[in-house]
Amino acid sequence: MEGMFKTFKYICEDPYRLVPSKKVIGLTPVDIPEELIYAAGLLPFWIMGTTAPIKRVTALIPDNACSFARSSLELVLEYQRDFFDGFVISQVDDTTQHMSDLWERRFRDKFFHKFLVPRQLSRPSARFWFEKELHRLKRAIEGFTGEAIQEEKLRESIKLFNEDKRWLLKLYDIKRRSPDLVSNRTFFEAVKASLWMDKEEHLKVLKKAIDELTPSETNDQGEWIPVVLCGLFAEPFEILDLLDEYRLNVVGDNLIVGSRYLYGTCHEEGDVFQALIDRHFSRPNLSPVHDDPFKILNDVTDLFYGSGAKGVIYLHIQYCESQEFDLPDLRRYLREKGIPFFIITTDFQTRHVGLLRTRIEAFRELLLKV
Amino acid sequence: MKARELAKVFTEEYLEEARKAHQLGKFVAYTTAVSPVEILRAHDFIPIYPENHSVSLITKRLCQSLSEAIEKQGYTSHLCAYARCDLGWRETRESPAGGIPDPDFLLSCNAQCFTLVKWFEVLSRRYKVPLFVFDTPQWIRDGETRKEILNYCVLQLKELISTLEEITGRRFDYDRLREVIRLSDKACRLYRKFLDMAAYKPSPITIFDALIHMAIIVYLRGTPQAVTYYEVLVQEIEEKVKRGEAAVPGERFRLYWENLPVWFKFRDHFNLLASYGAAILTSLYVHDWAHEFEPEKDPLLTLAENYVSGFSNVTLEERADMALELFERYDLNGMIMFINRSCKAVSFAVHELKELLTEKTGIPALVFEADMGDPRFYSEVQVRSRIEAYLETLSQRMG
Repeated sequence: MEGMFKTFKYICEDPYRLVPSKKVIGLTPVDIPEELIYAAGLLPFWIMGTTAPIKRVTALIPDNACSFARSSLELVLEYQRDFFDGFVISQVDDTTQHMSDLWERRFRDKFFHKFLVPRQLSRPSARFWFEKELHRLKRAIEGFTGEAIQEEKLRESIKLFNEDKRWLLKLYDIKRRSPDLVSNRTFFEAVKASLWMDKEEHLKVLKKAIDELTPSETNDQGEWIPVVLCGLFAEPFEILDLLDEYRLNVVGDNLIVGSRYLYGTCHEEGDVFQALIDRHFSRPNLSPVHDDPFKILNDVTDLFYGSGAKGVIYLHIQYCESQEFDLPDLRRYLREKGIPFFIITTDFQTRHVGLLRTRIEAFRELLLKV
Repeated sequence: MKARELAKVFTEEYLEEARKAHQLGKFVAYTTAVSPVEILRAHDFIPIYPENHSVSLITKRLCQSLSEAIEKQGYTSHLCAYARCDLGWRETRESPAGGIPDPDFLLSCNAQCFTLVKWFEVLSRRYKVPLFVFDTPQWIRDGETRKEILNYCVLQLKELISTLEEITGRRFDYDRLREVIRLSDKACRLYRKFLDMAAYKPSPITIFDALIHMAIIVYLRGTPQAVTYYEVLVQEIEEKVKRGEAAVPGERFRLYWENLPVWFKFRDHFNLLASYGAAILTSLYVHDWAHEFEPEKDPLLTLAENYVSGFSNVTLEERADMALELFERYDLNGMIMFINRSCKAVSFAVHELKELLTEKTGIPALVFEADMGDPRFYSEVQVRSRIEAYLETLSQRMG
């Protein structure tokens, strides 16, 4: 990895080195319309846990709560309290709902908003509710800044975020074709850094980084084997190093810090609020809850067949109940279709992934025989 | 007939009807314990509660073997014990109650928890039947937002009705719904009256009575049988009061319980506590079905108001206020806070809730962690010694 990509690596190592020139609003993934926050002159900044030790959260929430939730709450309580000027927490499940109460009680001095995202997506009422919540969020932000969010500012913000995502997708395309040029880690660092940096700055660096590349015109994967990466987060990023080491090229994913985010662009013409609403209901591979419970399984098979991958790697976050209900059916479903499937259970509090080495190597061997 | 005998008769009739549902031109709907079941009842869907069935499996101490049956398939032991028992039963078919019939439809309300939605997704895939998620955003303390939440919920209930009409090919009868809500309201108010008898000193009932007698309000609300049952039950307890009968002779400690019970330790806990003159009298959990419907209102609105505002869907502060109201009403002087590994939705806030309640009441609390159904996560010696130590502390406080 060369040149400008080092900027993303540097930020991913410790995003709290950034010295923001704007007030920072911490967000939990993934449904919060960050364009709205940016249009208000604030910096939306994703809260992505910490690898530092858990100290305070042990006394607050059960130890079998989702690793991401525990780690994120610890981050704001113990390590980065002063970095944030406020928070918007998206209530997507039990954990985020009840954690947001604990969170709010400890940050009475800061802006705090619960975004009550619809937890069903397939019926017209979900759209009704998302629109109500979008406007409630807008009013809350305006109350915090003391200024109305101008429609034109929001349109500019949408365009900027869209453009950044388009460039990241361009990078994804280069990475798919030329994994020796852009590794798994390099690509996902570029995505992750975009969740922390000011978008203008990120876009500037990203364009330069891509300009510095001289990608192959052909599909030149060499000894790399294409795989799909599923789950929520690729954490810790050392997992991506292992995939790079064993020449497993991620050619498709449904990760939150990945395609679920990148394909969430808004249309740029017409009503800006409708654009944000439409985006919420049109993200591909977004699988929280649907009236069609097979969608969770079909999304993965569609990704597999659509990307030309040889196998599926699933990243299971320790104690993520939602994933734990999906996984046995998903495994059975993929097995019936003859799709090689490999589950990695991870934890936000560890960076030691050496134990996975043998299993990943064995999975590669299996794929070579497919 | 005594209430307990009535419960047996009504339960057998109810399960028999569910098993013969298709012969009777009816449908079987699985639903969650807290859900607008009145809509199902009004449209000839017999509601079946996998949670209730799981309780019967747990109390027969089958949780561990059923869990192990599905852990082999990749489910983890961290999941809700109700879900594990249910999914395990579907593999082994081992059930003292003879099992429950397969569903034609699934209704999951997330006011209770998101776990149920994910569990029902598994069942929806297994039986290839539709799943309807009734989404209830957190009942935050903001008047304007609450109005919009209710609008959202009413819209969804209309969608639910359309879905049921599609399945049956029949138009929904709103007059029938009003009648079902009237019956639910009557039974729920009688149930509340029964729970509130724990305010007597000494109390004629403990939470263990409440946990036994809540079964009918969960699965038969909206029926005349539920009304009859609670009329008989209230009368029985009133007679106990007249006779001056205490549930725990020599009652000294009047305790609050947080969370669901440890179902398989039910009797042991009662006996241990009673030996110290301690009676657990109430919890927010048993009050979750003490609804107050307003039958004269728009039926969908009164359903929405009641089902969105349960203790597990309000904010932490409001939940503490609800518990404090019980402390006052029942004159409680102790509290046992159970962190239930199975039920993350209810357990997430228990540490904080304990802080709030102790701060407001000055009463110390016992906090312990275990699982409501799985004995692998229950330490007999530890729990027993902690309960004993806690009651000693309370004794010293009372002098």
